[in-house]
Amino acid sequence: MKRIYIILALLITTFSGYAQYTTNLVIAPNPPGSLIEWDSKVLTFIIINQSGAPGRPAILKTEIKTLDGANVATTNLAKARIISFGVGSTVFGPGDVLPLEQMVFTGKYKTTLDRTGKLPADNYQLCVQLVTPNDYQPLSESKCRNFNLAAYQLPIPTSPLNESIVALDKVRTTVTFRWTPVTPRPAQELVYRIRVFEVLRNQTPVQAMRSNQPVLDRDINSTTQYIWQHQLPLQFCSADDVAEADSLQKGGNDYALVNGLTAYTFVWTIQTLDRNGHAFGDGNINHDGISEPVVFSVDRRPIGAKPAFGLIYQSR
Amino acid sequence: MRKQKLIVLLAIALSLQAGAQKPAFSISGMAGVSYENYGLSRKPTGWTGFTPRKPWNQVRFNFTPTMQFGKDFSLPFNFNFAMKPTNFAGPYTGLQKQSFGQFITNPMNSFGLNPKYKWAELQLGTQYLNYSNLSTGDIGVFGAGFDLRPGAYVIKFFTGVSQQGVNFFTGPPTTNGAYKRSNWMFSLGRAKEGKYELALNFVKAKDDTTTLVAPVSGIKPQEGFTMSIVSKAWFKGGWYYSAEAAQSIYTKDLLLPLDSAKASFKPFIDGHASTVKDVAADAAFGRKSKNFDLGLRLKYLGAGFQTPGYPFMLPDRFDYMLTTRINAWKSKEGSYKMNIVASGGQRVNNVSNTTLRAKQFIGNLNWFTQFNDHWNLNISFNNFGFQAPGGINPYGIRNVSTDLGINPTWTWSNEKMVNLLSLNYTYSKYDERDVFTGLVTSNNTHTGLLSYVPTFLKSGISPDFSLMYFLNKLPGFKTTLITFSSGVAFPALKKKMNLRIQGQYTYSKNNSFTGNNNLIGSLNSDWKLNKKLTWTTFISTNQFHYGNEITPNNARYLESTIRTGFQYKFGK
Repeated sequence: MKRIYIILALLITTFSGYAQYTTNLVIAPNPPGSLIEWDSKVLTFIIINQSGAPGRPAILKTEIKTLDGANVATTNLAKARIISFGVGSTVFGPGDVLPLEQMVFTGKYKTTLDRTGKLPADNYQLCVQLVTPNDYQPLSESKCRNFNLAAYQLPIPTSPLNESIVALDKVRTTVTFRWTPVTPRPAQELVYRIRVFEVLRNQTPVQAMRSNQPVLDRDINSTTQYIWQHQLPLQFCSADDVAEADSLQKGGNDYALVNGLTAYTFVWTIQTLDRNGHAFGDGNINHDGISEPVVFSVDRRPIGAKPAFGLIYQSR
Repeated sequence: MRKQKLIVLLAIALSLQAGAQKPAFSISGMAGVSYENYGLSRKPTGWTGFTPRKPWNQVRFNFTPTMQFGKDFSLPFNFNFAMKPTNFAGPYTGLQKQSFGQFITNPMNSFGLNPKYKWAELQLGTQYLNYSNLSTGDIGVFGAGFDLRPGAYVIKFFTGVSQQGVNFFTGPPTTNGAYKRSNWMFSLGRAKEGKYELALNFVKAKDDTTTLVAPVSGIKPQEGFTMSIVSKAWFKGGWYYSAEAAQSIYTKDLLLPLDSAKASFKPFIDGHASTVKDVAADAAFGRKSKNFDLGLRLKYLGAGFQTPGYPFMLPDRFDYMLTTRINAWKSKEGSYKMNIVASGGQRVNNVSNTTLRAKQFIGNLNWFTQFNDHWNLNISFNNFGFQAPGGINPYGIRNVSTDLGINPTWTWSNEKMVNLLSLNYTYSKYDERDVFTGLVTSNNTHTGLLSYVPTFLKSGISPDFSLMYFLNKLPGFKTTLITFSSGVAFPALKKKMNLRIQGQYTYSKNNSFTGNNNLIGSLNSDWKLNKKLTWTTFISTNQFHYGNEITPNNARYLESTIRTGFQYKFGK
């Protein structure tokens, strides 16, 4: 009988605590795979304190599970930071809800996270609950939400191919660009921003990308091909340019062109944006959603010259 | 500061020592200055459908002489710079004035000085150093270092700044900003030219967390450390191999706390909560000879591999590529009439996620044949196919691109002139499958190009004429282009000046809209004022007149470029 009283007392205490603190968990259904990319647009936890008095010190207990119930990560309650909140609503972001340094990941999830900063692509459930700091007694209901991690890969520029050379007369009017789509295909429509930079003489392609103004800067909706009517005044080079390029290649690659003399060189890349114009990415490389750039050259030698198969950037 | 003084003193000492040994002095290379003006006029007033493609005014300088003092000491300069304030995000990012520090480290500018005495080279200023394929090679760093090669040993070190801090700029276009980044790189190895190379490389970069006034969400200060071992060898008969294995430790957010459970490599990098560690490998082997090349290249980049020396490298992939080059069909004169270059391979993305792996097949062929003195034929074929599982969608991604080009050229001549007639036809097909409906959209392009180039032997005048027809069709959309272009190059002022004039007219039409008209003209002159000094001038205009495919109808723009400059050639 005594035991029943104790259980009843605990339940009453618990529910009265629950009544004081209403919580809400909001998580984007397809957040970035890289957990450090999560911001308040991806994950928020809201505590509404209706007690009329400042909230009790508490800890956010977070659990991540797969949909079949396997444990992925839990908060190390002994290391967890004690939070405080006042009357009314208080909003917490990923830094409080999912602090990586306080989470304990298990098995293969820890291995993958340590390698890549991401969880494996899968469907997960995230649960958050307020608990007391010392004995970890619940202060609120556990709120759970499902999410899917898709491990997106940014586009790969495919045409013109990296380090390819095209004859000037063939690209005098148009150049066709093609790239692979973001994979797997997300539900939202994406915008592919194609940018082309001319690599000037004595520049490297990445230097051109980092400093020159693009000769093409165009947003393409969803599709992965763009036919560029460039309207650039491309000119054949002179016999003197060919002779100078040949002299620079002595002992080098006989089939190579020299940028700025016998070749125009361009570097192009794709930046992927979401429908709000924000960079789309998975935290892989940089935060700009920019794919690995690709270089191609236009052979400026007169019509009829033998094909060339390489390029020298620096003329010196 | 003390380090910089020591380096300067060492450079002076090296030059004095070299100068004392042998007084002979020679100089080669170039110096020059050029000014470029860009103009854009759009009508109707207020229409912004075409945006400028260059800075309005730009002055560029280049100073790239190599001074040779005696046999053992050389002093090459590599100064290429412009006065436009810019930063790593481009000249349009709102930087109005630049400090001296920003000017010399701005990625548009290079101020490099590499004094070299025998096997010791100092590297000062802007350097684009390539240590290996997986450590560093893409990034320009302003700083100081050395490249020493005593005997068979190779010792390299360099440190400096690869980018200054850039604050958020609202734009347009919006610039998210970046932290100031410092770089260090070190390499130790042995090498014998043409025989072998073996090296250990260490590369580190770290952002300065104090350099942004108001960091934008998503821009995080980072730190990376990569070490790699690379070996290369060349054998008799043109056989070769190269292999590199690398490991990276990369902190994606330095503002997150230190975490002893994460990967560290003290004292070079301490693990934070956002630190990841992964590996990569790159290998190539094959044979190179005068008339036959065959090579196989394999590359694996782990999902968490990230090196500061290649900031755009996409990880989580495995690719292999087989390439070949063949010269065949020997002529009486000893040259080869047939040249074939081909490559084929596959790239697998998302390697770490078995169920989401995407495969990309790549195949290329270029086949050139000089049948006789009169005609040759070039055939090119490119194909790539990309496939990825559907994931949550009913169908997987499937994109296939195929291009076939046929280019016969006929040449004939008499005592007065040489004539060249070239026909080029390209068929390009691009199929995209919709992942929701499974329907495949075919995008077909036909391009026909006819070119005629007569060369008048006596006068040296060589005009060219070409006519191009381009047709692109996909369901519900059709684009047609017709281009006529002509140019002529000829000498003037007793062959002291080379002139080239070119004109191009294009009529383009989309669906049933009224056609667009485009006229491009350009003039280029190289005037040799004397043996060493050349005055170059380039003028171009681009007039584009829309039909009714855009609003406002009949919009038009005129783009113009005037570039003029002098180039001085050092030495003989």
